[in-house]
Amino acid sequence: MTFRILCFLLPLELPDLMKISLLPKWGVLAIFVATPSVGAAEKPVMRDAATHEQLVQSLRQADQANPMKQMKPATGEDPSLVNRPQDLISQSDIIAFQGIQTLVPKRAVLQIPKKYSDRVAAQPGAKVVSWADFYAANRSWITTVEVSRTQAEGNLALPEETQKMMTKSGNLLVATYMGGPISLLPIKETKPAETKPATTPKP
Amino acid sequence: MKSFITLLIAVLASTSAWTWADTVTYTNLIRQVQFPTGVAWDVPVAAAGTQLSQLAIDPGGARFELWAVKSTPLTNYLLNSVYVGTYIPVATVAITSEDPYSIIPRTRADRPFYVDISVGGLLSGATDPVPSKSLKFLRHVQSYGVGGTGINVDRTQATLLTQTSLATNGSQRLTFLVNSVPGADRSKVSGEERFSMFSLADYQAPESQLASQFIQIWPVADGSISGITTGQLIRYTAPQVTLTVNNLYPNSTTYAQVYKGSPNLGEEGTIVPGSSLVINDSVPASRVLVVKGYESALAEDGDWTMELVTKTPFGLDRLAYVTFKLDRTMKMNASFTTTE
Repeated sequence: MTFRILCFLLPLELPDLMKISLLPKWGVLAIFVATPSVGAAEKPVMRDAATHEQLVQSLRQADQANPMKQMKPATGEDPSLVNRPQDLISQSDIIAFQGIQTLVPKRAVLQIPKKYSDRVAAQPGAKVVSWADFYAANRSWITTVEVSRTQAEGNLALPEETQKMMTKSGNLLVATYMGGPISLLPIKETKPAETKPATTPKP
Repeated sequence: MKSFITLLIAVLASTSAWTWADTVTYTNLIRQVQFPTGVAWDVPVAAAGTQLSQLAIDPGGARFELWAVKSTPLTNYLLNSVYVGTYIPVATVAITSEDPYSIIPRTRADRPFYVDISVGGLLSGATDPVPSKSLKFLRHVQSYGVGGTGINVDRTQATLLTQTSLATNGSQRLTFLVNSVPGADRSKVSGEERFSMFSLADYQAPESQLASQFIQIWPVADGSISGITTGQLIRYTAPQVTLTVNNLYPNSTTYAQVYKGSPNLGEEGTIVPGSSLVINDSVPASRVLVVKGYESALAEDGDWTMELVTKTPFGLDRLAYVTFKLDRTMKMNASFTTTE
């Protein structure tokens, strides 16, 4: 059922109406009437509920008309089972305090002082909140260490100043990038330059 | 590339507007995982909206994962994931059916559905990387089992029905006349069909999901009328009738109607008072209704038909019917005699 507008041309001899609407003498009065639209005007066809036998036949026809049969088949194992995102909780550290908890990526927690070690674990019943909300409520004992993408990838060490701050801080330290917690990979070890073994000239 | 990532997050954020059957609250977050380093960043996002990812994507690409986390018990649900790479094509999958329900695409076991796919950014140069030249398009089917609703379904158990390769940019609509969800009784299958696009693997990243969408398939309803039998003669009081209906479609109105005469499919009758049942849910429902005192719907004596009808977005379906004879005429056999 849809609303359609029925338009009638009416001689507007109703002075009150003219005063209100400022319509010309012949105006169009739109009346909203609930009428079925063209498609819905047709009475829905009633049928008996489909049976298994009918649907077996339909499935045969559907298989023949399967549009994916026209496409080039691909091979290989099911890619939806490969590289599937792993369980979020197992890939996160959970920080909890006073009835709320949040998840941060593994390796985002850089330092856990002994006095806060019991806060880096899931608390049954605690409400999960976003990192922003959790951090806002726990700034007194959490300090964020803002890192760059290169540092997060382990391609660049943290500045000495930051490292000193981390050593002195008694707070829980969390690596962040643009305010969001990020995993900080260990610094990649640079391979020592390869030295060619000395070759002795053949006699 | 940057604007591309903006679009991606818009898609993910819109998916976060899922509604859940219960009233438990969920916290949503997007985790961006960089390839091949595995660096993970939790993107601060609003509940809805669009924003640019602030973390530049490495040459290996990044996977954006949309998660919902429930507090009690602590549980996580992967709602969607999309892989983005510098030379990886962009793909979308959208499924529609005759049911306009907007939360999750859904249809009934006997009805068709439509899959709209689009692919862009595919390259064709001889030196272009393999993953930039084609992608995989997959069709999975999964049954929820008898009476299953799909809650907590393990999608790794889905069956890969078809795996194809797409190597041209463009959009197309695929029409599926009926579902292929496994089930012995085709009218009673319940489950889902999932269509997804995956990138091809290379040295930077394995095959990764670019787009995915699923449609839920719900069984065809069935029903019965008991308490009245075919050909039964009804005199003054209509008997109590029990209406049993199973697997009513999540958006349906079911009722019993009566009309004078023999069964005639499509006949519009009088709705039996107290027999209407409205279902507006996310899963099918089964009910038993007891109806009595409906004599007012039976206007005059004669042959009558009672039908059990369900109205869904797919039209009207007759689930059961019974005919009976109504005779409320009282005949008195009497004689007068006079005596003087």
